[in-house]
Amino acid sequence: MTGDIYQIELFFISRLPRLLAILCTGFGMSVAGLIMQQLCMNKFVSPTTGATISSAQFGILIALLFMPASTIWTRAIFAFVFSILGTIIFVSFVQKIQFKDVVMVPLVGIMFNNIIGGVTNYIAYKYEMTQALSSWLVGHFSSVIRGRYEIVYMVLPLIIIAFIFSNHFNIVGMGKDFSKNLGVNYNLVLFCGLAISAMITGSIVVVVGSISYIGLIVPNIVTMFKGDKIRGTLIDTALFGALFVLICDIIGRVIILPYELPIELIIGVLGSILFIIMLFYRLNNGRKAIALKIGGKCSCSQ
Amino acid sequence: MQSIAKRNNTNKFIVLTFMAIIAVITYMLIDLNFENSRLLSFAMKIRFPKLIVMIIVSISIGGASIIFQSVINNRIVTPCLLGMNSLYSLIHTAVVFFAGSASIIATNSNLSFAFDLILMAVVATTIYSYLFKKTKHNVLYVLLIGTVLTSLFTSIQTTLTRIMDPNEYDTLLSSLVASFNNINTEIIIFSIILLVLLAYALRKELALLDVITLGKAQAINLGVDYDVCIRKLLLGVTLCIAIATAMVGPISFLGLIIANLSRQLFKTYRHTHLILGSTLFGIIVLIGGQIIVEHVYTYSMPISVFITVGGGIYFLYLLLTNRRV
Amino acid sequence: MIIEKLSKHYDGKKVLNSVSFEIPKKSVISMIGPNGAGKSTVLNIISRLMAQDEGVVNFEGKNIKKYKSNELSKRLAILTQTNNVQMKLTVRELVSFGRFPYSGNRLTEEDKKMVDKAISYMELNDFEDRFIDELSGGQRQRAYIAMVIAQNTEYVMLDEPTNNLDIYHATNMMKIVRKLCDELGKTVILVLHEINYAAFYSDYICAMKNGQIAKFGTVKEVINKETLSEIYNVDFEILEIQGKPLSIYY
Repeated sequence: MTGDIYQIELFFISRLPRLLAILCTGFGMSVAGLIMQQLCMNKFVSPTTGATISSAQFGILIALLFMPASTIWTRAIFAFVFSILGTIIFVSFVQKIQFKDVVMVPLVGIMFNNIIGGVTNYIAYKYEMTQALSSWLVGHFSSVIRGRYEIVYMVLPLIIIAFIFSNHFNIVGMGKDFSKNLGVNYNLVLFCGLAISAMITGSIVVVVGSISYIGLIVPNIVTMFKGDKIRGTLIDTALFGALFVLICDIIGRVIILPYELPIELIIGVLGSILFIIMLFYRLNNGRKAIALKIGGKCSCSQ
Repeated sequence: MQSIAKRNNTNKFIVLTFMAIIAVITYMLIDLNFENSRLLSFAMKIRFPKLIVMIIVSISIGGASIIFQSVINNRIVTPCLLGMNSLYSLIHTAVVFFAGSASIIATNSNLSFAFDLILMAVVATTIYSYLFKKTKHNVLYVLLIGTVLTSLFTSIQTTLTRIMDPNEYDTLLSSLVASFNNINTEIIIFSIILLVLLAYALRKELALLDVITLGKAQAINLGVDYDVCIRKLLLGVTLCIAIATAMVGPISFLGLIIANLSRQLFKTYRHTHLILGSTLFGIIVLIGGQIIVEHVYTYSMPISVFITVGGGIYFLYLLLTNRRV
Repeated sequence: MIIEKLSKHYDGKKVLNSVSFEIPKKSVISMIGPNGAGKSTVLNIISRLMAQDEGVVNFEGKNIKKYKSNELSKRLAILTQTNNVQMKLTVRELVSFGRFPYSGNRLTEEDKKMVDKAISYMELNDFEDRFIDELSGGQRQRAYIAMVIAQNTEYVMLDEPTNNLDIYHATNMMKIVRKLCDELGKTVILVLHEINYAAFYSDYICAMKNGQIAKFGTVKEVINKETLSEIYNVDFEILEIQGKPLSIYY
């Protein structure tokens, strides 16, 4: 990169925003996943396997439908509201039900996604907006330029709040009675935690689209090495998440030069493989491999 | 008391069969013009194959869902978790993307059916047999990995649609929505033969279904070769779903609805009853839905919407009433 | 039944280490020991619910793995702790499943007689048309035992049959175990937590610790102060009541 003005401008309009967006996405998605896993005490819950991403997309669709001229900020508000609602409905369902096996929780989450996704697809189909919507269905960084991405910065204050209240999240994760005993307002903290993780997810979905798996894989890999206390792992999780997204982005840009593949594809492929490896590892080496706090039985119902 | 329960079930069957027959007759005769025999025979020509397709789909999805739930030992799962839907969408998208919407695989319905079916069957059988071996027959893990693969297929598929020519995309879109139109006779006959062969090949395992509901330990105690049996059954379920999906496209929640309606109505462990019940419910739901789609909404809404929305609400209801899943 | 050098690993940990013993016919054998000693693992392996890593289970002169599963189910029955059936199943239907190894889904007249006999033997006639998920824990346990009786096997294995039962039902259960052996001539192998039930109702006791057999022998040989204290790391006092040892621990 030489010093001429065009290059500098390119750097500030496109390259730098992209880098910042990548970092925020990595921070945000992995932390959102970590919070959800702590609050539900289930290693398989994440914005993807909960209902967060799909309800954020639903919100964006509604915004596009009723306010075609809406700015990115209005869309973001819709995404926030819907993703918070979706996540809370999902979690309250999960807590009402006794699960025979931890694996059932993500399966129920995926069924939730199927429902929301089905409705979203239908509305999009009916109003011929499927291809317009697909820009929010597939995560990609190619449209990240100055003036269109700043909303991802929302992620940073939210992560800081999460860090401050991380002990509360840990306590709430131990169950209703446990938190009452320690004088923590269970419902309030649960709501705040879920809202934070939903808002983080929402702001990322609005800017870059759906980014799956990071919220599921990154926290699991980090806890494998560092244990389950949020405060100890939050920063590592965030950094590792950012690194992961950055690597995926580079792969996506290099693999079919000069074109670029959407990051969602790279993360989807890499993430699936990593997740399956993780599952096999857990299956062969028992629970301690992915430190599942509560044994094979139910986890999310207190 | 037992005989009363049995008689009750027989009565329920009679009512259910009756309703299914009414649905069939209504569907065949509604809005018909009896004066004009040419129009009449034209309508019959269109409606009859559709009717047969709906019945075949009810049988394969109804049977597959009941078997699937019994094997997993859980009432709230549906075989759409096996990922056949997303595999189907991926295959279709890939065909249009790489060969173009004008290519012979995309336009010739027989060829596209055969292509779908063979690919789905081969991919699914290979993957699931391998997973069974790798997870040492842990069904839930097989399922979880199946859903991971589902999202892998979906992310590849959505990526392809994003970089696709918008015109091609429009032609693709219609094939990604379930519909009972334009299915020709050869496909119908071929699917029936396949289903019969499948049922014949699995006749031994199907007889073991009642015992399998007792759980793994009890089933082994009673002399069932459990692992082999559930593997065969699950592969059978996969093939059944593959046949139905290749015929009409993805219909996710139908299985969940009809299997649970049947379980709720008959309250029995006997799979012959459950499967028959779920098939009858399938016929009623599909044909009823199709009548509404054709005559109330005049095709403005695909039937899969009714099934997804209705199925979704029913799913939530099941979750809340069961409390233990 | 002869068990030779069974070993089993779990999550990289050795839970069974070269376990060998022989099961005497037509007697009640109780397996006792602290949590994690490997009792249930042994029971699961000798009833082919679980595969061992090393060792051989020799059942009536032939390796248990060489048997067809269906053949074994006519000679050996196992009842595990978790028997939660979700299906709507009446007691009679459950007991009828005991005849499955013989006749599949279609019961013959003879099968029906066996089912009747099993139901009246366990005094379940009043409940036979009730759904099992509506029964109390004790009744449900009896229904499962009735199924095992209908299965008509020489060997019966029970994993903690008294678990979750109150004193009345637990004692009844133990009396039934005794009757299975004395009246029906079965060999009963069970995992138990209560030492006194084991001492009072069994012929032989197999005490396990850390994946190994600590002591195998008649009740008198195993239930004594030294052996028990060593196995459980707790002080024991042994009294004698009705000619049987009664242990007190503190």
